[in-house]
Amino acid sequence: MNKEEVAAKIKDMLVENLRIPEELLEDDAELFGGEIGLDSVDSLEIISGIDDMFGVNMTGVAKENFRDINALTNYVMENAEA
Amino acid sequence: MKKRCVITGLGIVCPVGNNLEESWNSIVNGKTGLAKVTSVNPEGCYADLGGEVFCDSLPAPEYDRSARLCIKAAEEAIHDSGLTAEEKSRAGVIVGSCIGGAVSIDEYMTAQKDGKEDDRRIPNMAASSIANHTAAYLNLNGVTANIVNACAAGTMSIAYACDLIRSGEGDLFLAGGTDPFSSLAFAGFHALHALSEECCSPFNHSHGITLGEGSGILVVEEYEHAVARGARIYAEVAGYGVNSDAYHITAPDPSGQGQMDVIRRALASAGVKPSDISYVNAHGTGTPKNDEAEFLSLHTIFDGTDVSISSTKSMTGHCLGAAGAVEAVFTVKAVSENILPPTIGYTEEDKKALPEKAGDLDFVVNESREKEISLAMSNSFAFGGTNASIIFSKDKHEMPETEKDKVYITGFGKILSDASAAEENVAGITLEMKDFTERGVKLGIFRKLDKFGQLQLVSGIDAFKSAGITVTEENERKIGTIIGTSAGPVTEVSNFQKNIVDKGCTAGSAFTFPNTVYNAAGGHFSIFTGTKGYCATVANGTQAGLQSIAYACDVLGKGDEDIMLASGTDEGSDMVTYFYRHSGINGSRVLGEGSSTVVLETARSAEGRQVHKYAEIAGYAMTHSAGANSYSETDALEAAVRKALANAGMEAGQIDRIYAVTNNHEQGDREREALAKLFPGKTVSDSRDKTGDCRAASANALAIEAAQAIDASEIGSAVAVSYGCGSYTAIVLKK
Repeated sequence: MNKEEVAAKIKDMLVENLRIPEELLEDDAELFGGEIGLDSVDSLEIISGIDDMFGVNMTGVAKENFRDINALTNYVMENAEA
Repeated sequence: MKKRCVITGLGIVCPVGNNLEESWNSIVNGKTGLAKVTSVNPEGCYADLGGEVFCDSLPAPEYDRSARLCIKAAEEAIHDSGLTAEEKSRAGVIVGSCIGGAVSIDEYMTAQKDGKEDDRRIPNMAASSIANHTAAYLNLNGVTANIVNACAAGTMSIAYACDLIRSGEGDLFLAGGTDPFSSLAFAGFHALHALSEECCSPFNHSHGITLGEGSGILVVEEYEHAVARGARIYAEVAGYGVNSDAYHITAPDPSGQGQMDVIRRALASAGVKPSDISYVNAHGTGTPKNDEAEFLSLHTIFDGTDVSISSTKSMTGHCLGAAGAVEAVFTVKAVSENILPPTIGYTEEDKKALPEKAGDLDFVVNESREKEISLAMSNSFAFGGTNASIIFSKDKHEMPETEKDKVYITGFGKILSDASAAEENVAGITLEMKDFTERGVKLGIFRKLDKFGQLQLVSGIDAFKSAGITVTEENERKIGTIIGTSAGPVTEVSNFQKNIVDKGCTAGSAFTFPNTVYNAAGGHFSIFTGTKGYCATVANGTQAGLQSIAYACDVLGKGDEDIMLASGTDEGSDMVTYFYRHSGINGSRVLGEGSSTVVLETARSAEGRQVHKYAEIAGYAMTHSAGANSYSETDALEAAVRKALANAGMEAGQIDRIYAVTNNHEQGDREREALAKLFPGKTVSDSRDKTGDCRAASANALAIEAAQAIDASEIGSAVAVSYGCGSYTAIVLKK
């Protein structure tokens, strides 16, 4: 899976599971601040979604990896088993 | 309002015992009921402990486990209280529950997965069925309600039973809570990482909760009634309080403000000081967030007093909607036997570390102790931000009297489906982000709402606007909400459960779980508006939309609040559609959805704000029929109307118009006949032809229509009446 495909899947998950309007989800839109404003419960849902889709466990991973879709995508690309 | 409420009977089934004697012995001896769970499959989960009830003699296998546990505890409480069959038949049932019929939903979906349709489970799925089934099984014909405010529900039910006694709506209630062990709660708390790997360790390791199950039922009785029949009195209800954090849908306010406020409310309603309290049965779940906030609250209120504190959840686990009731049973026993129950699980090392957190407060560690206890408190803090606190007294204790003011409707809001737009006899409402943006709701809140919460927020905000209410620091504690519902957040519950049935307990959604509790809609509303007063959700069939008005009037009568919103809200869902189609209970009527809210305000507050008054709530009454021929549902309908008229000081002949939501099957014919006989020649208005059957929302909207007609001087007075789950609520409105 290439980077674009991973990012697209993460975006779909955020729209579907966290009811974030798609038009707000630029790849560099800050997820936990600003307009989107996710909280700790949402982060649990993201961890579970990433684990389901890519088999990557993000439990306890540093906050900056959750900053935006780009950061999540990079973390998945670096940690997914090929 | 001067009536005194006493506890004359106790019944319990919980992880530490199948009856009162067994359970209390376990508590006194510090015995745990926690072990590896057997009723759900924890495969793949990081935690696998729970407190389960193993009882071969649970009655009524046709009902959901929540009702079966409740009936078991209620039978014991009735026996313990020495009630005759005749006395018992007049008792009401007020039951708290968090998850309602989650076990039935699980069983239904599991059977469906195997290609079987088990329709018998469907009527057991909604929390509305618990009190109704308990009343039917035991032939109880007093006022019923299911209070569905998550983990505070058990405590609130006892408090509400006292409100009903004090306002003259009954002398005798079986009040408490019930919840079964369920995959829904297990997977939900697992997803939130709120389960503890070890046995929960409240005020100690605080690594999370261990779930429990069970039911606690107390016989709450008017003092003179108890004395007249020579009943043994365990304790007296000295005071209680209920409020809302308005902070977060799952987490407690870390400042402990809401918790402290509710404790102070209970103390004030009892007219006592913190130093008068000998024992506190704490909420003490063992999550880091709860324990931290609760330590802070307890220190702030009780430092410098001789109070002793423990969490019996260390033995029973967290029994959710039953927790407050199970703990009330233990607190009443503590008062009547002068024994302090312990918090178990402290090692020698833990004991050494305790003073750092406990300070001078006396935490009862590992072993029970004797102590003269005259007043004891039990606290419950719930999802949705609902808090409840109750105080039991050994001695005679009259609650300070409050003066009852007139109550007016000063605003309303409603959003109901349009029957003419129905497809296949189902009409729905589609709400978009813009509907919320224009009401000032930001994405952060909108995103979290399920349909049930969306509908409630819209009608509530519109009602606030219509009544010209602005929430400020001065009035935030004086405004509360009662929401009535028939089926609650069915869609969210179904979706959550379906995932677990398909993929196991690891597949619970942390995002969805908070909305599976019935009071989430009330919690979201309170968070958005910042209202911190009384907050309750009642599940009790269609008529819950009117019962919420009667409930809200009783809350206003207690004097803590000036303004109460009373709503009726029900959403459509595939499950509801399926049920209505297969059971045929809706006849040919369109099934709708919606939410309706009226603003109720004391005369003093309305006049102070110089706000428009649409109509006065002149009287109200609630009744219930357990279904026996000697007192049929039609009899209960007539009784509700007659009592409401008597409470309003009016005759049937003085009523100009009737607004009624009646049954859609043959019972509806009997109901309309009864109304025609009570009010000969009067119009009976029912707008469900236009909106579809929006259940609790349709019932609540009756009050709005009546108030508007009165305000427009079309009529001078009206009766609004609705059915649901064997219960009826009638409201008399006048100019």
